[in-house]
Amino acid sequence: MVSDNKAKTDSTRGLPSGSNPGQSSGRKRGSLKRTDRLFAYVILVPAMIAFGVMVAYPFIDAMSMAFYQYTIYDVEPTFIGFDNFVTILTDPYVLGSWVTTAIFVVGTTLLTMILGLCWALLMYQDFRGRGVLRTMTLLPWILPSTVSAFIWAWMLNGKYGIVNVMLLSMGIISDPVQFLSNDVGAMMAVILTRSWISIPLFMSFFLAGLQGMDFQQIEAARIVGASNFTIVRRLILPHLKPVFLVTGALGMIGNLQQFDIIYALTGGGPVRATSVLSIEVFRQAFENWDLGMASAIGVLWVFTLMPIVVYYLRSLFKED
Amino acid sequence: MFELRTWKEKLGFSALLVLIAFFLFFPVYWALISAFKDNGELYSLQPTLFPAHPYLGHFVTAIMEGNILLQLGNSLITSSSSALLNAILAALAGYSFAKFDYPVKKPLMLLILSAQMFPFGVLLISIYPMLQAVGLLDTRLGLTVSYIVFALPVSTYMMYSYFKQVPNELIEAARVDGASNFRIFRRIVMPISLPAFITVTLYAFMWSWNDLLYSMTLVTSEENRTIGPGLLLRYINENNADWGGAMAASFLAAAPVVLVFAILQKQFIGGVTSGAVK
Repeated sequence: MVSDNKAKTDSTRGLPSGSNPGQSSGRKRGSLKRTDRLFAYVILVPAMIAFGVMVAYPFIDAMSMAFYQYTIYDVEPTFIGFDNFVTILTDPYVLGSWVTTAIFVVGTTLLTMILGLCWALLMYQDFRGRGVLRTMTLLPWILPSTVSAFIWAWMLNGKYGIVNVMLLSMGIISDPVQFLSNDVGAMMAVILTRSWISIPLFMSFFLAGLQGMDFQQIEAARIVGASNFTIVRRLILPHLKPVFLVTGALGMIGNLQQFDIIYALTGGGPVRATSVLSIEVFRQAFENWDLGMASAIGVLWVFTLMPIVVYYLRSLFKED
Repeated sequence: MFELRTWKEKLGFSALLVLIAFFLFFPVYWALISAFKDNGELYSLQPTLFPAHPYLGHFVTAIMEGNILLQLGNSLITSSSSALLNAILAALAGYSFAKFDYPVKKPLMLLILSAQMFPFGVLLISIYPMLQAVGLLDTRLGLTVSYIVFALPVSTYMMYSYFKQVPNELIEAARVDGASNFRIFRRIVMPISLPAFITVTLYAFMWSWNDLLYSMTLVTSEENRTIGPGLLLRYINENNADWGGAMAASFLAAAPVVLVFAILQKQFIGGVTSGAVK
């Protein structure tokens, strides 16, 4: 029994906890009794039940629903094989959601990362009032999504919105723009609002990454006469590369699933201009009550997300 | 970090600072002062940067007409109970992952973390009929339970990272003294992990409080409605847009979260970033 446990210890060295020097002594693992292991299983059960009931089962159920015809007119779901998928792949409107989603995700993630990085660099500089600004930066991130949507809908209002007033007075436009009722304007509005919300989080990620910067390296570069711009380009950006990859993946995962802001701001409209996948699934499921169709789009949506999530999880566990 | 020697460098730095700060903070300021303007001043083509005659009427109507207090109460009950439940589940699972070794540990951990791959909207397709089948549709309990999906994966990882830093010697010493595993967890590990527990609770609270999709779909009656969909249904009305009221009600909806975070923000942001950036 003892030797059995010992063998397990060695084979689990690569596991996250194995990298903790205090744990790899082997003494603790060797003395890990059956009651300890039982305790470990028992305290895991509540989270696993929650995961099973609220995530795993609904997911599997939705996956299988994708192969059924099940609308509000059907008493019972009927198995129809891949028909839902065929409908999706031949319907230019539904396929258009992928294009809309791509524009939204790429636009938002890029804008958030650029502004988040700039803001983190500014907040890394020591100046008076920095602490207050850093604290205040969290504000857009913690506001309820409905509130953020209201704020920007009012800012972008087609008649009295302050954005229109500013653009008019600067002479950039000659007539007020109805941002939320034209295709391009609505897409710009949701990208802007979603970026506004996520910049604080990205700033925090970049700031955390900047804490590991080697100051002596910067000092050395400065003595050689490097400009601020060179230091950012040659030292800081390469140092932040791993942070870029992880936050980029996280940002894309979040934006690919974004629903609240878009729904509250435009409802997916005008017509379908901002109808991303989350909106499309919601409409199919809870407006058309076509659960089969909604599930089928959901399956394809999950496959769209999967590579990014796999990449993110691998990078999360690699360093452990 | 930067050395701003010339006036050009100083100007460039300040300009960028002002520009992004304006983008980040002006919308909040604008919403706030809009709530204090009367309609004459609000709907004017020459907007003022400060309310000429501070006006509280929008707050009065936001509270007196409609169910905003009921909705805030519903949000408070569902969000805080779900946040607490989430934190307890995450703490237990995180401790199991951090301090014990068993064969299926890594796959189970990956499984819980992979929940981020499943869009909430897809899960909702099945959660809706499931809650309906057990009679929890349109109840606060049903909403509370459903909220758990949002934060559990990240919360578990956050607790796991924190527990890993708890010295094993501490646990071993208590074990030598004959303390049971549960006692060690409750009396030794949890007290020193309280900061992480609070962070995780807040994180989950924020997710639920700010949610729209689940709150809007799983609750249909006015008496169980929470604040997010409550605001949306009341103020997004094409015929009669009441922007002053919407801003005042937004202020009331945001105040609880902002208040809590103002008190605990430093600790909070450290906890959230620790999961993604080493």
